[in-house]
Amino acid sequence: MEQRMIIQAQNLSKTFRVKEKRKGLRGSLRSIVKPSYKEIKAVEDISFHIAEGEIIAFIGPNGAGKSTTIKMLTGILYPSGGEAMVDDINPCKKRKQLAYKIGTVFGQKEQLWTHLTPYDNFKFFGAVYDIAEKEVEARIEELKSTFELSEFINTPVRNLSLGQRIRCEIVASLIHKPKILFLDEPTIGLDPVVKENIRTLIKKMNKDYGMTVFLTSHDVGDIEKLCKRIIIVNHGKIVLDDSMEKVKYHYLDKKIIEIKMKEEMALPRIEGVTVLKSKGVNLKIEVDTKIISIQEVLKWLDTDNLMDITISNVPLESIITQIYKERS
Amino acid sequence: MLTVAKKELKLVGLSVKYNLMKEMINRTSFLMNVIFMILNNASFIIQWLILFQLKKDIGGYEMNDVLTLWALTASTFGISHIFFFGAYHLPNLIMNGKLDAFLVQPKNTLLSICSSKSSTSAIGDLIYGYLVIIIFDFSIQRLLLFTYFTVLGGITLTAFSVIVGSSSFLFVRGDILADNLNGAMINFSTYPEGIFKGTVRLLLYTIIPVGIVNYLPILVLREFKAIYLVAVTVFAICLTALAFWVFQKGLKRYSSSNLMSARV
Repeated sequence: MEQRMIIQAQNLSKTFRVKEKRKGLRGSLRSIVKPSYKEIKAVEDISFHIAEGEIIAFIGPNGAGKSTTIKMLTGILYPSGGEAMVDDINPCKKRKQLAYKIGTVFGQKEQLWTHLTPYDNFKFFGAVYDIAEKEVEARIEELKSTFELSEFINTPVRNLSLGQRIRCEIVASLIHKPKILFLDEPTIGLDPVVKENIRTLIKKMNKDYGMTVFLTSHDVGDIEKLCKRIIIVNHGKIVLDDSMEKVKYHYLDKKIIEIKMKEEMALPRIEGVTVLKSKGVNLKIEVDTKIISIQEVLKWLDTDNLMDITISNVPLESIITQIYKERS
Repeated sequence: MLTVAKKELKLVGLSVKYNLMKEMINRTSFLMNVIFMILNNASFIIQWLILFQLKKDIGGYEMNDVLTLWALTASTFGISHIFFFGAYHLPNLIMNGKLDAFLVQPKNTLLSICSSKSSTSAIGDLIYGYLVIIIFDFSIQRLLLFTYFTVLGGITLTAFSVIVGSSSFLFVRGDILADNLNGAMINFSTYPEGIFKGTVRLLLYTIIPVGIVNYLPILVLREFKAIYLVAVTVFAICLTALAFWVFQKGLKRYSSSNLMSARV
């Protein structure tokens, strides 16, 4: 059966007009008399489709156009060109109608009232989404146990830790059972334990309710553990749209070998081998298996001198950095 | 349509309730804010009492008219700042890209913004307005008319603030223009109409509509004239519609931002 495309972006573009500031006092005076503007293309002609129930990572370096794209898909920003359809709704034409179907979490922006408790906030959001009192209570109970909020549900938001606050932000965005969840850097500033916790909860929401998740993050852990598909944007354009498996497979021809030796040993120059780090008895090399096999490389090493050896894939972080560099 | 309006108003009520709950957390500061605002307003009346001892009529107003003018100015300001204080923060919200949280909600964005903040001291203004009307020259008809003009004036002040605040969609630091015009609205509304002549008077019935929010209601409260009542009502409706239109147009130019922010 053909999968339904819940998010569709067709030649989506966004251009911002920014006033240019000239240097010094004279420049400032000239700007008053004759201001000059420049156009910044934040998003340029991007197209993609996302199937219902998918978790996709929408990533890119700072200023790549990730947040702008999310804001166009949620109806916050009007596109300068192209069209977006989210659950068959045009976000800039029927923003309010769309709001009932989507949940949004902006890691850098709070949606909760900080002086209120999470419980009061959830009640407020219940009213925002026209949910009946009894239904809100039941939903809060359900999410309270899933997200383990019992301990602090009656503590004012301003007194919560960042991890607790983000959990509450996600709950507030789920109160109306949205079909799509937009997460803009949800784990920013969180410690590894809390990050893992948040990831587990997002995965659970996707699995239990078939919720589509659109995630932007700089954290490779978020992407690796949650997403099966990755869209990479740079300078406002899509530079890669593929499954996580394929991305990794494509770049798996490079391996990292970490070696610990009994005595210091100098490795001769070998084609296809790059020394990443060499300090005393520790050596870290990158092997391009298209040029030389691992077996060949190992032959160059004195096995009697080896204390420990680890062969691993290139970390996803490096793969992404390489893609940014290669395709920008 | 009616159900939608009911739901929107319910949410406005809930926002104001939560805002007041926040202010009441610190009981002493809450009460001080209210009481000192009443005293602050009352102190200006002394100045007018002295002036009226020197002259019986200032700009066509007698002491009673000035009292009514101050009462109406305070109460309209009070209503607007208790229920729709967020309107006065519109330039800041636009400039710093803080409209995002309101835009992802399925409610009217402008109403949500306006009702997202409340000013505690404005409660003092509202109480002061009613105290003056009840203490001086009380009648049921005057009280009802005063209430009508208070609500209408509060809505008009808010609409005016939204229109001037929306200038931030067009140019940076629109907050300066908005602050100046909002300030002018309040300053002009504390002086008798007759002292302003020519162009200034024309301005007060057009660009800075103090004449319609304050001076016409004073004439009605002095002596009932249906035509003025209708004029004030029609003006309030038109200005409110214009505020929604201007904001909606401006929203298309909104550029958001990625600044860290919190809803406080």
